[in-house]
Amino acid sequence: MTSSDVRDVLNLPDGAAAGPRPSKKQKVAAPRPNLKGLAREVHNLGGDNPIAIVPEVTQFKKRRFVSRKPAAHWELRAFRNSGRKDGSLLLKHWRRADDGKQRQAGEGNATGSKDEEEEIEDSLYAKYNVQVSVPQYSDDQYRQVLENPDWTKEETDYLMELVRDYDIRWPLIWDRYEWSPPATNGEADADGDERKAIVPATRSRSMEDLKARYYEVASRMMAVQKPVQYMTQPEFALHELMAHFNPQQEKLRKEFALNSLSRTREEAREEESLLLEIKRILARSDRFNEERRELYNRLDYPHAEQDIATFKSSAGLQTLLQNLMTADKSKKRKSIMGGEAPTPSGQPTPQQAAPENGRRDSAAASTGTRESNAPTAASTSNKKAQQQHHHQQQQQQQQQQHQAQQQQQAQQAQPQERKKLTEQEELIYGVTHHDRLGSGPTFRTEKINKLFSHKSNQQQLRITNTLNELDVPAKLAMPTAATTAAFEQLLAAVNSLLDARKVNDKIDAEIRLELAKKAELEKALGQQEADKSEDADGDAKDETAAADEASKDNGQDDGAEAQPGDGEKEEEGEKATPSDEATAKPSVEEPEDKNQNTDTNADKDKEKDGQPESGVTTRKRSASVLSSVSDKSTKKQKK
Amino acid sequence: MAQQPLPTSAQPTDIYGGDEVSALVLDPGYCNTRAGYAGEDVPKSILPSFYGHITSDPPRDLFGDECIIPRGDFEVRNYMNKDSVVEDWDVAAKLWEFMLVKRLQPERQTHPSKNGLNDDIKEQDGEGDVAMEEVEGLEKPLEEFPLLMSEAPWNSPKAREKAIELSMESWGTPAFWLSRTPVLASFAAGKATALVIDVGGANTSVTAIHDGMVLKRSIQRSPAGGLWLSSQIRKMWETSEPKVDLVPTFMVENKTPVDALAPPQARLREFPYKIHDSFRAFEEERVLTEFKESVVEVWRGPGRYGAAGNEEYIKSQPGRVFEMPDGYNQMWREQRFKVAEGMWDENAGYPLPEEERLTKAQTIPELIRSALNSVDVDLRGTLLGNVVVTGSTSLINGFNDRLNNELTAMYPGLKIKIHAAGLSSERRFGAWIGGSILASLGTFHQMWISKKEYEENGAGIVEKRCK
Repeated sequence: MTSSDVRDVLNLPDGAAAGPRPSKKQKVAAPRPNLKGLAREVHNLGGDNPIAIVPEVTQFKKRRFVSRKPAAHWELRAFRNSGRKDGSLLLKHWRRADDGKQRQAGEGNATGSKDEEEEIEDSLYAKYNVQVSVPQYSDDQYRQVLENPDWTKEETDYLMELVRDYDIRWPLIWDRYEWSPPATNGEADADGDERKAIVPATRSRSMEDLKARYYEVASRMMAVQKPVQYMTQPEFALHELMAHFNPQQEKLRKEFALNSLSRTREEAREEESLLLEIKRILARSDRFNEERRELYNRLDYPHAEQDIATFKSSAGLQTLLQNLMTADKSKKRKSIMGGEAPTPSGQPTPQQAAPENGRRDSAAASTGTRESNAPTAASTSNKKAQQQHHHQQQQQQQQQQHQAQQQQQAQQAQPQERKKLTEQEELIYGVTHHDRLGSGPTFRTEKINKLFSHKSNQQQLRITNTLNELDVPAKLAMPTAATTAAFEQLLAAVNSLLDARKVNDKIDAEIRLELAKKAELEKALGQQEADKSEDADGDAKDETAAADEASKDNGQDDGAEAQPGDGEKEEEGEKATPSDEATAKPSVEEPEDKNQNTDTNADKDKEKDGQPESGVTTRKRSASVLSSVSDKSTKKQKK
Repeated sequence: MAQQPLPTSAQPTDIYGGDEVSALVLDPGYCNTRAGYAGEDVPKSILPSFYGHITSDPPRDLFGDECIIPRGDFEVRNYMNKDSVVEDWDVAAKLWEFMLVKRLQPERQTHPSKNGLNDDIKEQDGEGDVAMEEVEGLEKPLEEFPLLMSEAPWNSPKAREKAIELSMESWGTPAFWLSRTPVLASFAAGKATALVIDVGGANTSVTAIHDGMVLKRSIQRSPAGGLWLSSQIRKMWETSEPKVDLVPTFMVENKTPVDALAPPQARLREFPYKIHDSFRAFEEERVLTEFKESVVEVWRGPGRYGAAGNEEYIKSQPGRVFEMPDGYNQMWREQRFKVAEGMWDENAGYPLPEEERLTKAQTIPELIRSALNSVDVDLRGTLLGNVVVTGSTSLINGFNDRLNNELTAMYPGLKIKIHAAGLSSERRFGAWIGGSILASLGTFHQMWISKKEYEENGAGIVEKRCK
């Protein structure tokens, strides 16, 4: 009989609308608690809900399975403690009998007649009896190294004894330090108090005095036993520490500690809030710097280094888009690591924080002033209450600040996980930043060799010659990053110098050629215009000669420099810059020439500016060399 | 016993390992003397330090609570004085032996060769001397038990020597140690460095402990303990309106319930002999103890009890009713705070005669201040972070809260942590429990003063070793 049958009998609707049979089958299939002593029919009356009857268990808990072995035997066994001084004390404790028996039996077999005494075990705890080592000294040693006008030997002995007794625990030593100097006159007798005519007054010594004396003795005895130069590192460190103990400083420190102990609640709170303030200011300046750096990074827009012609077609644009996408992706990954990139969640935080901060600052400032005003006013109860109110406010604010700070810290903690090196550290570790790196490792020497190998043999020869002139070896002995950089610059300067000389030579030859042509032309044209042209020519010649001489004067000091000074007149705009560098570099290298060089440099600058407007003819150029005033004006005009 | 056990990760395996040597621990105090086996968490035997003395011939002493009953020619005495230092050594020896031997150990069977039952009449003459020696050896009752005793930190060297003499000579203990109560109390709290505030029966003491040793200069004590509080309560009853009569329980034969403040209706017992004052005082003290336990409370703060508004506030709060043994009952409101306030504020409380009055330096906050001022500056922070409160009188409601308030007011910039055992038994027997821990430690074996050392150096060794 099931519940559905019962329902059937009682004309009750059969639960849910679903078909009863199949669902019933399923329910029955589910495991049911099988209650013994309950008829199945009764059980089924409950239907889907099992009957809430807890079966009564008539059995007792199962008997514990007992091992058949006889109960363990324990015995009261005597033991001694080798850590004790007397060693005669025999104490007894309970131990399992069997393990001891076995051992005894083993020992008994090995050595038949063993003394009863030796079988007594030693305590496990004997090893914990450790003693401190306190410096020992003889009378002679005391006289030689330990004399101190402030301390007698007796008192020093007493101190050492106390230190040993109390295991160098200074608070205890100072606490128990009761040195009473012995009578100075006559021997101390039990009843002879009268004979002790002079009893020195006891002085109370501070803990620092005791420490200073002990460290003095200890460090000197250390040095006596083992001269300083033979000490191991830790020994030496200990010696130094003890030898340089400064009681004065300790005293000051303790005074300071005392003051900080006795400060009032308000002072403590003020100090705390000041510390908080400092922390906040520091955090803010950090954030500010970070923001500024980010801003700079943004301002630093990317330069187009490549020709944009490739991107002009639609296919090119497509590839460009692709490139940008990939670049962006890689950047994003970097930004997660670096945390500097503006993420949607990260962006608003500084902005949010800033106004908050500002508000808090102003609030704190206002309460600060109020607080400082409050004590000056008469402390009526009304005022008091107000003050209390302020305190509460302040506390709340502090709490808020605290929370906000914690949040900020949590946010900042993410990016700051990777340690940032300071500039100095970067310099030490040789860390440099590059926009892009070449594939694979390269050697610096290789880089330098490359500069050589690209040139023709003649050029190489010239370069080495120039370097020889400068007393610089062609191979760097120590190619550190800094030296290679300098060397590269030097080489660049040398190169441009050589180039300039080459051009100069060429142009000189051309001038000569032109002059020769001109002379022939003049001859051919006749003598009618000779007067005029000769005058102008003579001027031009003089001028060039003068310029040459001036530059040669400078050039005597620095041969390399003379050339560009000479050749510059005819140089084109592009070459002006390298030559300028070239002249600048040597002047940096040899500062004693600087004064002279600057003069010539100034000249050259003028020349450079004059160049574009000057024509091909030498006349005009030479004129510009002389008339520096007009040159300057043109420069101004250009600007 | 320590409230917060070490974390399992940091727990050293063997340095704190126990190694029981069946040592006994004895902790005498002014109100109670406690004795038991080391390694247990409560003393097995607790007897009042008061004992009964029968004055009639032959005079004898009766020990134990159950003996202190009304009888003739009987007075109650105490072997300790109010400084918690032993005064009557003869009685002390008897009482301690009674506790350590009678109470703690089962009756011993007399050795069959000595009990006289197996005596062979013929041999008796020849071997008599030998037998006597053995009997002497057996007379020492504690030959197997090392003994650890506690003492007040201001105990005199003479008393200390007396203690070791007693233990070694008359009880024959193989090893002995004497430790100061605050040290043991701090051990019971699981601390080696602590500021122990012991508010006991006769004394309140504040002691700084550094690394398991008392800092002597820091020891401060005052009578602001249980007895002083009793005198405050007596004064309160005397001055209250109507005056409350203190009739101890043993005097009351029967009583009928009366309304509050109504005069008691009780028939008092008549004794055919004179009841000695000391016995009556002892019994009155029981009533006072009950009153302290159930009614007295310490004003928790903020501020002192005398601060403006506090008293009015308390008056508005519900009070507590106390029924005297004779049936008189009354609701106590602000008075129950006022009696304990004198411990904290010398101007509060009920006025006492000059000699019982506390000076400012004897109040608990001042004791703490002067104790801290006499230790090194570097230690003060640590000590305030490890304040251990012990002693039965510290169980008064609100004591710890008030202490915490006072300390934070005194040292606002420092972290203050009060350690007070939650179990009342641990607070009452703090020193004994510490002794129990100490004496059962394996590492303590090296400390005991052995019998041999005592024989070689004499009683003076206790001064040298138990520093």
